[in-house]
Amino acid sequence: MQTVFSIAVDALAYGMVLFVISIGLSVTMGLMRVVNLAHGAFAMIGGYIASYAARDLGVGYAAAVLLAVVGTVLIAIPIERFLYRRIYGAPELTQVLMTIGITFCVIGIANFVFGPTLKTIPLPETLQGSVDLGFRSIATHRIFAIACGLVVAGGLWFLIERTAFGIKIRASVDNASMAAALGVRTEIVYAVSFAVAIGLAAFGGVVGAELLPVEPYYALRYMVTFLVVVSVGGAGSILGALLACLLLGAIDTTGRYLAPEYGEFFFYLAVIIIVILFPRGLAGRFK
Amino acid sequence: MAASMNDPILVGPPVRRNILGSLIGIAAIIAVGIIGYYLFPNNLALLTRIIAIAFLVLSVDLVTGYCGVATLGHAALFGAGAYAAGIASAHYGISDPLLMTVVGALAGALAGLVSGLIILRAHGLPQLVLSIAVIHLFHEAANKASSWTGGSDGLSGISPTALLGMFEFDLWGRTSYVYGLVLLLVVFILLQVLVRSPFGMLARGVREDPVRISAMGASVQSVLLRMYVISGVVAGIGGALNAISTQVVGLDSLSFTLSAESLVMLVLGGTGSLYGALIGTVVFMWFEDVVSAANPFHWLTMVGALLIAVVLFAPKGLYGTAAAFAERMRGRRA
Amino acid sequence: MKKLITATIAAVVLSSAAYADTIKVGVVGPFSGPFALQGKNFKAGIDAYFALNGNTVGDDTIEVIYRDVPQADPAQSKALAQELVVKEGVQYLAGFYFTPDAMAATPILEQGNVPMVVMNAATSAIVTKSPYVVRTSFTTWQTSTPIAKVAKDAGVNKVISIVSDYGPGVDAENAFKAAFEKEGGEVVEAIRMPLSTNDFSPIMQRVKDSGAEAVFAFLPSGPTTLGFVKAFNQNGLKDGGIKLFAPGDLTQESDLPALGDSALGMQTTFHYAVSHDSPENTAFVEAARKAIGNPAELSFPAVGAFDGMYVITKMIEATGGEQDAAKAVDAVKGLSWTSPRGPVTIDPESRHITQNIYLREVTKAEDGSYFNKEIQTFENQGDPGLAAAK
Repeated sequence: MQTVFSIAVDALAYGMVLFVISIGLSVTMGLMRVVNLAHGAFAMIGGYIASYAARDLGVGYAAAVLLAVVGTVLIAIPIERFLYRRIYGAPELTQVLMTIGITFCVIGIANFVFGPTLKTIPLPETLQGSVDLGFRSIATHRIFAIACGLVVAGGLWFLIERTAFGIKIRASVDNASMAAALGVRTEIVYAVSFAVAIGLAAFGGVVGAELLPVEPYYALRYMVTFLVVVSVGGAGSILGALLACLLLGAIDTTGRYLAPEYGEFFFYLAVIIIVILFPRGLAGRFK
Repeated sequence: MAASMNDPILVGPPVRRNILGSLIGIAAIIAVGIIGYYLFPNNLALLTRIIAIAFLVLSVDLVTGYCGVATLGHAALFGAGAYAAGIASAHYGISDPLLMTVVGALAGALAGLVSGLIILRAHGLPQLVLSIAVIHLFHEAANKASSWTGGSDGLSGISPTALLGMFEFDLWGRTSYVYGLVLLLVVFILLQVLVRSPFGMLARGVREDPVRISAMGASVQSVLLRMYVISGVVAGIGGALNAISTQVVGLDSLSFTLSAESLVMLVLGGTGSLYGALIGTVVFMWFEDVVSAANPFHWLTMVGALLIAVVLFAPKGLYGTAAAFAERMRGRRA
Repeated sequence: MKKLITATIAAVVLSSAAYADTIKVGVVGPFSGPFALQGKNFKAGIDAYFALNGNTVGDDTIEVIYRDVPQADPAQSKALAQELVVKEGVQYLAGFYFTPDAMAATPILEQGNVPMVVMNAATSAIVTKSPYVVRTSFTTWQTSTPIAKVAKDAGVNKVISIVSDYGPGVDAENAFKAAFEKEGGEVVEAIRMPLSTNDFSPIMQRVKDSGAEAVFAFLPSGPTTLGFVKAFNQNGLKDGGIKLFAPGDLTQESDLPALGDSALGMQTTFHYAVSHDSPENTAFVEAARKAIGNPAELSFPAVGAFDGMYVITKMIEATGGEQDAAKAVDAVKGLSWTSPRGPVTIDPESRHITQNIYLREVTKAEDGSYFNKEIQTFENQGDPGLAAAK
């Protein structure tokens, strides 16, 4: 019984970390309809900035996170302006080509600037070490990640469902030309959504860095995982992404406990079954 | 994911010009092949590899370009062909290159059937994810069955006998290059016929408007599945050629990376056209070879820049954009 | 003998006095992609060799041509090796980080009359694939065997083995199991996990449930080692008194800054530590750090490459710059010298390097950086892997 609880805790923690890192991609793919394979690249940029700020400039963890989010968004603005705007509404394959190209460039540049070694983001005292749950101990940082996931999920839900801006986003997604005709400045809506998505990517990259360490190949290494999680959940759905992360996290964790040598099989078989049962994603709202 | 980059290229022009066009195209392939042989006599290994990958990209084109199926798992078909041909030689002593190619084609068809049955269960993004899952399952299976496949060490011990009993596969790779080129020509001509056939038209119809096709009484699912099997044959031949020419098969031939690269090459050249597939393969692999030899450390940035540039300046892919441009010029003159 | 060689060299020099040759060495390795760091170390090792010894042998100048195979990709590796031999006319093939890449290129050697000097790939069987293969790195068997004795000496009897599910991982598992059982210990469970594993918590739960007193682990150097070591600590295994033993891939120097305190006290066995105390190593480290740019990036592939270049220059000396693979390989069979890692010999039978394996402990230096401190030496270790395969 203790083992079951223990696995459940691991699954929850893993799923929430996945959620924090992937949710930004759900925003770009679901709300903006861009297959953004460069999501991992932006998460990685966030990680690098935070690492640089915390290690070399010596600022605190919170400040490093903030710097990472703001810095990544700033870097992304010209990329959005000159590259992404050209592919809004383009066929998906074109988007794939463009965003893979961007990813390659970011990897190359990161390798050149920061070198190929792992970069860590030093944690503050309070997040180091472990917490005793009574039946086992868990890294404090994991609990922090779970909390971050919940806050992000809640915040996004509020933004999209409860604010005037959320109404504009939903209108632009459902029918961009009609929304524009009604006076919604879709260009700005897109730009802001993009910034939010990139900010989330950077945030996820920093918070998840304990699990997925920052190095130049990060951008491609975890791309498949992000893509799978978002699609299984149903692009654009926060609840769906949350469910998908928890479910896939649970399957992955359990599989790895019971039969680690077949870990990949479990995971991808589960993905196939879920996609066939829910072809629109667990909670696919759009499309 | 149903839409593809360049719908209008091959729609419409009269049949006679098509036939003339394909004759010119075939002549061009032969010419490029011969030029390649004499211009780079010391680099035939790379050229053969380009040909092998060209089969894979053509195969992706059949399902993605002609039928609108999005896949990031097509290397499964290529790898199946490569492993089958390799295993036939290494474990069963079937070392005649022609027989190995047939074995590869059959295995590719089988892999096409299996992955088609799974991938065609969804559309759009979920379809893409199914294909990713499929390639990972294939990859894991090959890794697990290491007594057959050599696992991560790769399958070695492949020793094809002389082609037709006369031409040895030697260090300079002349035999494998010529063999690959001939295979490519044959397959290319057959595919030209295929895409113009009623079945090919039906496939294109499925991409344009599946609802209408099923309203006409044709089964969308069966068209797609048949196309998947055919594309499996094509990819399987490419895999077998790779196994024959390099005499080794590694897990990379069943990898997500190869799948993604082949899709990138196709989109780079232009989807929905066999020439686009060939051009994309040659340009991508040649470019990669040149920049990675020039700077083995930072070439990835250059490749990325190439992809971005293509999207910005040739949004229909290299061939698609060139064809559209030629069409426009012709229209102006007429 | 020396006179004879001098005379031969003189004769060669006189006969071809008109021109000095350029001898090309083709190096295949991962210079971009996820393993770019290891490829960078190849280059640093080679550059360091040239910086210390010059790039000439007699009248001949050595030119190195690099080719990139970012991930294990035997077909690509073979195509590039072929291109190097046929098009670039290299006399020596070298490098090879991954086993499949090295294996794939071996059929070329005899046809092309080219020796191969493996600077990393660590599966025992590579040297059996062709008589022209010489290896200056290590094998997983070689580095994983001594740790079994260390574990037993530490009073451990039950061990759980955790390895990544691919060739070298399986090698490590077998090597450790064979050696540990010989010592009288017991491997209670052997887990193989996918290479792509990034969350190790469930594995740690398995460890707890297994009742083992220690863990033997093998993961390829790089990002996953960080997650593994952290999971080991954070899930309370370290505090629970469970020990962790591994070959040195887990604590390669370039990963240590990232691992930080969590790796402190970890004991691993390996053939080389950057901190090795000898004049040869001091000179090597200085030159290699200069070559690589960022001193923290220097790691074990560099020493394999450095010694590989030494072996190649010996081959060039022996053949007088002529292309003669058999003669070149014969010349280095039994060759002994003092490498930065310590005394080494090319075993004439297997053409693999016989060397000391060191037990090291991750230690914090006075300046706050971390290093592998050598605390015990297992002298003159051959490769037990070949014998085991027979």
